[in-house]
Amino acid sequence: MSLLTSAVVLGLIEAAPLILAAMGFTLIFYLSGFMNIAFAENITIGAFCAVLLTSALGLNFYMSIIPASLVSGVVSVLTYLLIFRPAERRGIGPAEMIILSVGVSFVMRYGLRLIVGPELYFFDNVAPDYYRFMGMGVTSFQVTAMALVVVLAAALYLFMFRTRLGEMMRGLADNRDLALVSGVDPTRISALIWFIAGVAGGLAGVFFGVFSFVNTLVGWNLILIIIMISIIGGVGNIRGAILASIAVGVTTSFIALVSTPLYGEILLLIFFIAFLKVTNRAT
Amino acid sequence: MFDLLTSYTLFSLSTVMGFVALATLLHLQFGLAGIVNFGVVGFWGLGMYAFGVLLIQFEVPYPLAMLLAVAIVAAVSLLIGWVIVDLNDQAVLVATLAFGTIVTSLVTTEKWLTEGVVGLGSVPYPVETGDGALWQFVVLTAVTAAIVIYAARIAKTPYGRLLAAKRDNEPLARGLGKNTSRHKLTIFVITCALMGFVGTLSAPVHRFLTPDLIGPGVTFSAWIALIVGGKRHPLGGVLGVALTIFVFDFVIETYVPVPSEHAATVTVIKTIVYGVTLIVALMFRPLGLLGPGRKRGSR
Repeated sequence: MSLLTSAVVLGLIEAAPLILAAMGFTLIFYLSGFMNIAFAENITIGAFCAVLLTSALGLNFYMSIIPASLVSGVVSVLTYLLIFRPAERRGIGPAEMIILSVGVSFVMRYGLRLIVGPELYFFDNVAPDYYRFMGMGVTSFQVTAMALVVVLAAALYLFMFRTRLGEMMRGLADNRDLALVSGVDPTRISALIWFIAGVAGGLAGVFFGVFSFVNTLVGWNLILIIIMISIIGGVGNIRGAILASIAVGVTTSFIALVSTPLYGEILLLIFFIAFLKVTNRAT
Repeated sequence: MFDLLTSYTLFSLSTVMGFVALATLLHLQFGLAGIVNFGVVGFWGLGMYAFGVLLIQFEVPYPLAMLLAVAIVAAVSLLIGWVIVDLNDQAVLVATLAFGTIVTSLVTTEKWLTEGVVGLGSVPYPVETGDGALWQFVVLTAVTAAIVIYAARIAKTPYGRLLAAKRDNEPLARGLGKNTSRHKLTIFVITCALMGFVGTLSAPVHRFLTPDLIGPGVTFSAWIALIVGGKRHPLGGVLGVALTIFVFDFVIETYVPVPSEHAATVTVIKTIVYGVTLIVALMFRPLGLLGPGRKRGSR
């Protein structure tokens, strides 16, 4: 078993939830033109819903995925309607919008912390089945995550590029005024995008959680990597985000295999800063 | 009066004073020069740790260790400044945020230098008599006052006006023949080095350096103070810190008896209140308490 194939397999497994999260983050970035740091909390909320539903209520893991992602989607829409939409209407610039979203993120994270406490939660009464795949042991959860990512990414892609609603969304993002005179209802379409993004974030959270553990920092610890993927993939480019998250997943697991995971992250961030300098992206 | 200044009170006041300095330096970066620095903790923490490591691990003499630490921060901020100087706001924000995270991670991983999560101890006061803490507070206050005065003055100088012009309309300032990138880089390096200097002064206040000290909460606190107080006003940081960090970290912690089992809850509630304050400030008074009222369509 060579290092390279382990890195690819592990990287793909690691990338599966990252792809979901990056897709959600990128959607909002694409539509609203700002980086929504509070997206981190959608991931955390999804993870917590699933872990509480399975541990406290004894629900089957696969059954908990649906309510967890729906709750996350609803929370995402609520943050949009209650905070970000009014802020957009007040003409707050993109840099301030990010700071605003950091504030929202802190309020949500510590609000949740007040309820659930600082402890780590585990999916302890769900045991996955183990399979062998290319010489590596993988769990049924990892297989589910991968399958779900493929299905969702394909569905989202078709939705965005092949349906009327998707066309409206792209229209709204590309040329707001033109979309408005063409009869697109901006609030409805935006709310729908925030909902889809929240669902994707929640799903990502469920899988991040089941792969390791859940606490209130799950989303926050990932948001920088997600921002990075979104920017490297090209702002608001769903295809780019998918490819970038696979690349990042494989790279981090390769670095993690040859050194410690934290070094992987540091190297990745240094590479990312250099990338920003070279391409001057993130408009 | 002086018996009120117990060691704990001095510790809290010194912490608060450090934040006044950081928020005012952030005013120079963001309010005046328009640089969205989300890596405040990186520069402050680098100064603090570089100083601590030089002093304790390499036994460099006290003043030299401070000087070298500030020089290190200046060199690093020159590099970061070179990276971000021509990037747009969002990219600057992400790059500096990434830098802050790198510093925190490196402090955790490089155990041979920093002792990692165990903590690096203990950084002494320059004067190891009984009044070390008091003197440190006096020095911190003097440095902070100097920074505030500098901030108040610079806005009225041609250089300050140049920075403001660059912030509001960079192509225009460039069209007038000003080398905007160089000026932006200069102010960034100066203010970041000063953040590092404040870090070296904060090191003996904390005494025992752990990675917990340099979490993203530091950046967040400085930002919220500046936004609440008013990003464009030189006293914005002072007022903002007085209304947020001073109230929580000094007034409530010192004078409101909280049972120790609820101490963690108070910290959590504090962060929630900070976040709500930030949201309300940005929504209803984006230029802060000391800024002019909101104009429609103003940024």
